[in-house]
Amino acid sequence: MVTLLQQLVNGIVLGGLLAFITLGYTMVYGIIQLINFAHGEVFMVGSYAALATYLWALPSGIQSTWYLALPIVILAGAAFSVLVAVIMERFAYRPLRNAPRLAPLITALGISVFLQEAVRNFFPDGTRPKAFPEVFPEGQLTFLGVTVPASGLLLVVMAIILTGALQLYVNTSKLGRAMRATAQDPDTARLMGINPDRVIVLTFILGAALAGVGGVLYGVHYDNINITIGFQNGIFAFTAAVLGGIGSLRGAVVGAFCIGLIKTLAGQYMPGGTAYDYVWIFVILILVLVFRPQGFFGETERVRA
Amino acid sequence: MITKLVAGKPGLARPLSIVGGVLLIVGALLPWATFQLNIMPYPALSTLQFFDAPFGVPGFRLHVMLLGVAVIAVAFAPAAIRGRTTKALGWGALAIAVVNAAYLIVEGGGFGTITSAHGAFAFGAVVSAVAAVMAIVAGSAYPAAPPVTWDLKLAKPLEWLVLVLAYAALLKVVADTLTAGGRGGAANPYAGAVFLSFVAFLFGVFGGLNGTGLLRWVSAVAERHRAFSAVVLLACAFVLPFTEAGTEQWIYTATNIGVFAATAIGLNIVVGLAGLLDLGYVAFMGIGAFVAANLSGAASASLGVDLPFVLVLVIAAIVAGVFGAIVGSPTLRVRGDYLAIVTLAFGEIFFKAAQNNIAGATGGSNAIPGIPPLDFLGTPGDAAITVFGAELAGGVLYYLLAVVIVALVMVLFANLKSSRIGRAWIAVREDEDAARAMGVKTGKIKVLAFLVGAAIAGVAGAVLVHRLTTASYESFTFLESVTLLSAVILGGMGSIPGAVVGASLLFVLPEKLREFSDYRLMLFGLALVLIMRFRPQGLIPDKVRRAELAGETAEGGSLKEAEERAVAEQERADDERLGRTGVTEGRS
Repeated sequence: MVTLLQQLVNGIVLGGLLAFITLGYTMVYGIIQLINFAHGEVFMVGSYAALATYLWALPSGIQSTWYLALPIVILAGAAFSVLVAVIMERFAYRPLRNAPRLAPLITALGISVFLQEAVRNFFPDGTRPKAFPEVFPEGQLTFLGVTVPASGLLLVVMAIILTGALQLYVNTSKLGRAMRATAQDPDTARLMGINPDRVIVLTFILGAALAGVGGVLYGVHYDNINITIGFQNGIFAFTAAVLGGIGSLRGAVVGAFCIGLIKTLAGQYMPGGTAYDYVWIFVILILVLVFRPQGFFGETERVRA
Repeated sequence: MITKLVAGKPGLARPLSIVGGVLLIVGALLPWATFQLNIMPYPALSTLQFFDAPFGVPGFRLHVMLLGVAVIAVAFAPAAIRGRTTKALGWGALAIAVVNAAYLIVEGGGFGTITSAHGAFAFGAVVSAVAAVMAIVAGSAYPAAPPVTWDLKLAKPLEWLVLVLAYAALLKVVADTLTAGGRGGAANPYAGAVFLSFVAFLFGVFGGLNGTGLLRWVSAVAERHRAFSAVVLLACAFVLPFTEAGTEQWIYTATNIGVFAATAIGLNIVVGLAGLLDLGYVAFMGIGAFVAANLSGAASASLGVDLPFVLVLVIAAIVAGVFGAIVGSPTLRVRGDYLAIVTLAFGEIFFKAAQNNIAGATGGSNAIPGIPPLDFLGTPGDAAITVFGAELAGGVLYYLLAVVIVALVMVLFANLKSSRIGRAWIAVREDEDAARAMGVKTGKIKVLAFLVGAAIAGVAGAVLVHRLTTASYESFTFLESVTLLSAVILGGMGSIPGAVVGASLLFVLPEKLREFSDYRLMLFGLALVLIMRFRPQGLIPDKVRRAELAGETAEGGSLKEAEERAVAEQERADDERLGRTGVTEGRS
């Protein structure tokens, strides 16, 4: 029973983490119908940017006071992720807006490989996993024998706050309305005076900022980062987006928590254990695609943005 | 920018290209490096010593000189071919100059190496680069002319002779490319420079020949005598072990290229024809490899069965094909781009399962070593053999097997492509909804693409594993899938020679560029982005696909004009119809 509760907690934390990435996937797909493979790498890059900021830019006085260091590294990670995403959109995706569908998909794959290899080659000693600095107190809550690390709590709380804020922004602000309009019908949106290029860049920025924050919080929670975290979590996040209904913000969050729970529970209870835990995620992905391609919230209500 | 200056001034073109050509020759004769490099002399004696023996020098400087002579010659050639040919030659020369200059700068430690240092001067690279740019500019200044086609038909024996000569030249090029620069490594630091420079030269030459229309004519001749050219091509492939590339090392490389070229053609069915992105393709190769390893009678395989190899190939193809169909099945319901993720996931599952020695079939981290060599009518596959008195290196038999497999896969691809199935694949690629409306069963046809592609990969994997003698999960990573995909994209989607050229380049480069091995994948990633941006049709584009991307019809005419013609015809037909109705209305 305690094991089950513990795995549920772990699953929720993982789900919160995936939510950060899933939202970016689903927003970009909602607007330009592109599976942005490189989105996972944007997450990874944010993590490394935060590490670099901490190691080489912060004076030791700030390094040791977590309430200063944490916001700074989060902002740095998010800012760098946004920068990478904007460059990527401008130079790799925008010129291919009217190309055959396969072209941007291949480009996205190329960027993904490029970013991963660039970090491996140019980050000092990038091939090996990196210890992430302590920018959050180590504490943990124990409740009915279940331990909830403080960093996990932070992750989930941040996920809920930020996704709520994003939801609010997309549903109420003028630019959010422009986003939803472009997602529904780009041509008509253009006729209504919306500049699609601007909306698309904004979408990439919002997605990348969330992914960057997620990347930093990944480091804070799991203490270790390496260059493959973006690739792995990117696939999980994509599955979550499909499960929730690609294009739907609500679906993305629900899907992320589902996938988080599936992964931890499958690792505990399914044959093969943690070595095969993500096989079950892909089984879910294939089953969803075959039997309910629109996911939980996709298509039928078309809450795209 | 510079080309804009001279645009519309055709009078400048010829003088400019003559000056460019002369400067290319001068640049080739000038010294390229100010001092002897520390590691070992730069190839083709590019230091000051070159003046001791200015002629009879092989290597890149000869290539630059030849391109320069060609640029001058083309200035006096028929007007129609001048522009394209000069431009291509210029790009080739520029690439050679840049490659060698970059190496000299890096190895020599700064720009001093190619300009002036310690009182010595070496402006060969700079002069050549400038001259090459002049040639490119001159090429675009020539009045624009449509691509040249030769309407030349010779007597049958003469055309056969042309084909034999063309393929013999191709064989020479292949052998030279394989051996150019030798194998990279600490003992041979300039292998990469020599190889890249040679490839740049080839691009210049082939681009130039393409500009003159010769290549198009030869391929038209080959098209007229398909069977004959297939036989000659096959014969040329069999002759390769007798050339200078016939050492064990290069035959090994050539075998690998063959196996991966066959796989790339298989992937080309899925990506190039059906337009489905498969990111876990190497997993099918892996399935074929492990099937073959388990049926090879290797002592360490859990299934100690020893079946005849032909049977093993069939089983590997079937098993891989079944997996392909399973992985492809989600496409029955969803659009192709979701499939990219499903295949990616499948590739990862395969890798993880093989790593964990699933069902004891893969050996896990111990791999399955000691796979016995294949038996070719009593001769083990890795033994050296003697043919017509010529001693051939070990592994030649595997090479021949790889050639046969590539040839069979090519025939399969070509036939499928022009069959009803192939046209259905292309229709699905272009517009799934329209294809369905035309009665194509899109779901089935997509799964079929997956099945065929996977089966081909399975066969290739079965061959590969015997050549490697070890079946390890490490050979089948996601990055291998990326490399294969890069090969297909680089060569040109849907094009057979493209897949072969792409696979050759991407699997030879690592042999030559050891010092870049860390950056290999990074460059592949960048290459994918750049190709999609600037040359989506690839190096050797498929005819139909090139036409689509260039807005032309397959016959080379303007698509816009064809559309306008069609619209005009439609309007005329409408007018006639309306005219009739107008008359009836008037009567009533």
